Amino acid sequence: MAEWDELREALDDYTLSCNENARLRKMQRDWSRTLHFVCSDTEVMFTMEVDKGEITSTTEGLVGLPDIVVTTTSETFCDMFWGDLNPVQKYLRGEIIVKGSQEDVMRLDAISYVIWPDS
Amino acid sequence: MGTLAATATSAGLAFAAIDYLGVVSILAYAPGATAALAILIGGFFVILVSAIFSELNGLYPSAAGIRLYLGRAVGNRTALSVTFTYMTTVVLVIAADAFLIGAAVRHVLHEPSALAYLWIVVLLAIALTANLLGVHLAGWVQTVVTYTVLAGTSVLSVIALFHVGGSFQHPLDLFGKGTFSGIQAIAFALFLYAAFEWVTTTAEEARQPRVITRALFIAPVLIWIVATLFALALSHLVNYSALHASAYPQLLLGRAALGTVGEFWMLALTVLTALNTFNGGFLVASRFIYAAARENNLPRQFAKLNINAVPWFAVTTLTVVSAVVAAVVFATGQWLLLVSVGAAIECGIYAVGSFCILRLRTRVDRKRPFRLVFGRPLAMFGAIVFSVLFLATAFADPKNSKHFSALPFSVIALLGAASTAYVRLVVPRLQRQASARAAASRPRRRPERPSSDATTAPPPGEERDA
Repeated sequence: MAEWDELREALDDYTLSCNENARLRKMQRDWSRTLHFVCSDTEVMFTMEVDKGEITSTTEGLVGLPDIVVTTTSETFCDMFWGDLNPVQKYLRGEIIVKGSQEDVMRLDAISYVIWPDS
Repeated sequence: MGTLAATATSAGLAFAAIDYLGVVSILAYAPGATAALAILIGGFFVILVSAIFSELNGLYPSAAGIRLYLGRAVGNRTALSVTFTYMTTVVLVIAADAFLIGAAVRHVLHEPSALAYLWIVVLLAIALTANLLGVHLAGWVQTVVTYTVLAGTSVLSVIALFHVGGSFQHPLDLFGKGTFSGIQAIAFALFLYAAFEWVTTTAEEARQPRVITRALFIAPVLIWIVATLFALALSHLVNYSALHASAYPQLLLGRAALGTVGEFWMLALTVLTALNTFNGGFLVASRFIYAAARENNLPRQFAKLNINAVPWFAVTTLTVVSAVVAAVVFATGQWLLLVSVGAAIECGIYAVGSFCILRLRTRVDRKRPFRLVFGRPLAMFGAIVFSVLFLATAFADPKNSKHFSALPFSVIALLGAASTAYVRLVVPRLQRQASARAAASRPRRRPERPSSDATTAPPPGEERDA
């Protein structure tokens, strides 16, 4: 199980990778969403704000009305944000559960795919 | 997504331009008003399908649901083969709709028949461009379009029913054309409802799980009402001999009921159905292809995204394949073959769904938001009935109801064999290549923590083979 500080570290790296990727920023230029992440094995929950493709904040706890809710284990979140696993594989096995539109689900995976094409 | 929108999505996915031809296929086996009886009986079977997919959707409320419950019930490889075959129906429906709409537009504009294919290409090009630009119908537009098509078809059908000069023929004579005719009529009636269960792929958008369950039960009722009115109106006003060779029975009904106004009315509705088919069909199929490529079950080119975050290679391939299928249909005039193949694959999928219920009742001990009452006997009944209906449509010849034809079955067998061979031979190689690529490209990025549990994920290369 990963605690919040470990997740925080992964999220910081993920935020940097996303925000510094010019192609991703252009691709997600019209994508502004509030995402809630729920760790199914710990009490940890956190919120990510995306504004026109830029991750503007990631805070502990659930803030605001979400467009997307992602639920999985804290370990999977950590590996996902470090780019060490392919989110689609976990999703298709039912290990990552997403509430949101199909388009948003795909966009979420597209972020990982653009940053880490070989993950 | 609420019940109204989910119902519209379900009904919109099911009610395509090809459904108008589906009614003609029913009339081939159940002449005149008898077709309404076949549609009613088909509707009862579809309610069983609704219950089956409600339970499966409740177990795995995800766009990937079909992969999940098939995988748990029959294994991952078989699940992948079945899903690939299932997805070919999307291509068939897109191709069929492109052909039918092209033929209808050409007919109304009194253009030479060769120009129909030009219309097909134009329609597919518009759909391709819209998809590549990331333009999608807003949910409320899709809802309005679906209810407009359903209401418009119903109203014109009612007008046709009250039209002076028509007459009902062969009322309630389901087996009037032979022992098997009634079974085949019911099997083709199922096709009218086909694809309504695809609404389960939007489970993640639903406010609550029961929204999808409600849609699965309400949408077939709406389709039943519209299809029954349309079938009765057709048999009331238009001679079957005129319908038999026509790719646009709805236009013939429109003209018979209201002259040129009726013809344009039905043309407008036909074009509107394309919005749902091309918007929904392209989205579902291209996203499925994208996910399969990301999972390394298809070449990675299919996961390539354009600057609008659209899997452009998947969308373009879908369009090209649809255009080729439409060209084959255009050249051979075998549009009723698409109805037979589509109907048979759907019956097959319903049989597989019933089998999944049987298997998962013993294998998966999980809370089910919806539980089919008398689950095991009804699922057993469904598996048998839908298998029989699969055979009834797979060997049907709607152009000549007195004959059987192995052509639909041959097409399905070819598609199934190609899917299975691909999954057995190509997919393992793709996965090995992906593992090697991942292992060679970069080391694991996540820092190791001595205090962390020993449940860390395997390296990316191993992850794929799990």
